[in-house]
Amino acid sequence: MAKVKALTQEWMDAYKAAILSDPDYKRIAKDWEGSVSLIVNADPSKGVAEPVYLFQDYWHGEVGEFVVCDQAKAESAKFVMTGDYSRWKQVAQKELDATKGLLQGKLKLKGDLPYVVRNIKVVNKVVDILGKFETQWPDDPA
Amino acid sequence: MAYDQDLSFNYFGPTKIVFGMDASKDVEIEMSSLGGTKAVVVTDQGIIQAGLLDHIVKALGSKCVGVFSDIPQDSGVEVVDAGAAFAKKNGADMVVSVGGGSVIDTAKGMCILLTEGGHLRDFNGVQLLSRPQTPHVVIPTTAGTGSEVTNIAVIMDKEMGQKRLIVENFNIPRLAILDPKMTVKLPKLLTAGTGMDAITHAVEALHGLQHDPIADGIAIHAIRLLVQYLPVCAENGNDLVSRGQVQIAATMAGWAFCNSMVSVVHALAHSIGAVAHVPHGFANGILLADCMEFNLESCPDAYALVAEAFGIREKGMDDLDAAKAAIDALREFTKKIGHPQRLSEFKVKEDDIVKAAELSLGDGAIINNPRLVLDASEVLEIFQKVL
Repeated sequence: MAKVKALTQEWMDAYKAAILSDPDYKRIAKDWEGSVSLIVNADPSKGVAEPVYLFQDYWHGEVGEFVVCDQAKAESAKFVMTGDYSRWKQVAQKELDATKGLLQGKLKLKGDLPYVVRNIKVVNKVVDILGKFETQWPDDPA
Repeated sequence: MAYDQDLSFNYFGPTKIVFGMDASKDVEIEMSSLGGTKAVVVTDQGIIQAGLLDHIVKALGSKCVGVFSDIPQDSGVEVVDAGAAFAKKNGADMVVSVGGGSVIDTAKGMCILLTEGGHLRDFNGVQLLSRPQTPHVVIPTTAGTGSEVTNIAVIMDKEMGQKRLIVENFNIPRLAILDPKMTVKLPKLLTAGTGMDAITHAVEALHGLQHDPIADGIAIHAIRLLVQYLPVCAENGNDLVSRGQVQIAATMAGWAFCNSMVSVVHALAHSIGAVAHVPHGFANGILLADCMEFNLESCPDAYALVAEAFGIREKGMDDLDAAKAAIDALREFTKKIGHPQRLSEFKVKEDDIVKAAELSLGDGAIINNPRLVLDASEVLEIFQKVL
């Protein structure tokens, strides 16, 4: 299977498909309500010329809109997570635990922390799925 | 304690420590060294009535632009907003907090609002800040919270019905002045409660999922100091040498848990504090041993280190036996220093612990516990044991 270019709409589609095909996701996420945005800070030295805004809509085990979007839409999400490109790549490649990254200041979270903590299994699940499809990162050798 | 190949951590402890008898009199010199010109002093009525504030205000002289002292035991987001408005109105460029955890955490919230503007509820998240906040000098009057060196503030939000956990590396105090004379008036009961808060910080630093070798070492020595000196303070509050050592230990435990984070004990203590107003240090001290029992199979090696710090690990004891001995020793220790043993001593009722157990599942600390907690019934059992 060909690698999908990270941080593109194609990549978001692949991510959504991976979540929908996961046998456990629907059950684990049955109580989750609300959208999540990931903001990837620009890092021109690694091929990310501008910040990238990714909007994902989750609702009781269903998956809605999954799009590359503009800043305003990203910031309208119930939860907004922001980090440098290299940190997000580490999360996707399971080199950085997202929760640990938050507490250490490597990632930022805007939103209701108690809600996230109560639903930490959902967070762990979608992060786990993120690493399950082949990705071509902007700074990977061609 | 074993560390594996996956060990990965940041150690962060930027606060300058100034320790010594009467060190608090140097507050103006130290403040100026940080570039501060106008300080608002944050404290509470108890500190003023105990006569602990006058010499600090006098030392600050014209650099003190106001005293904000309207702070209750469990400070709230509205108190922080009011304090920040007061500081802004008086043109403060620095905050000097004089007090215990509630005062220090209120001041931390004020530092954010002085730099960023807005209200505390606007800062809903984790590590949201991107620049250093208003400089903060802390002069603790208790020895336990460790807040003088941590990136954490705990502020009650009555609208949420929960304590809000603010975690911001850019808001760690710049300077802590540890003056043993500032804790000498702490009554025996509060000495025990705040001291157990410090021990809990050290133990939680050791058993948390994010523990690391640097924080572990600091936590172990903090426990050694507390085991040796806290009973002396509880017995004779005027023993300044012991007061000083307990202060240092509390700060060390603060550094340890700031990096390793806290876990189930604090999740439960925050929750029972929010529901039934049990003071934080007492809640920690009452819950600690039973939480260790709850975690026992998950981290006997961490508790074996607690046994070593207590000086009770015998030759040939395996980790599990040493861990059990540590739990017993902690229970005895709380009795020795006159610490409350049960939540009912704070008028906690059965329905309070049911609410608190549910609430604790949303506390940020619980995800760092070595034993995964997924259901409120698991922690309700801990509460029931100490009710």
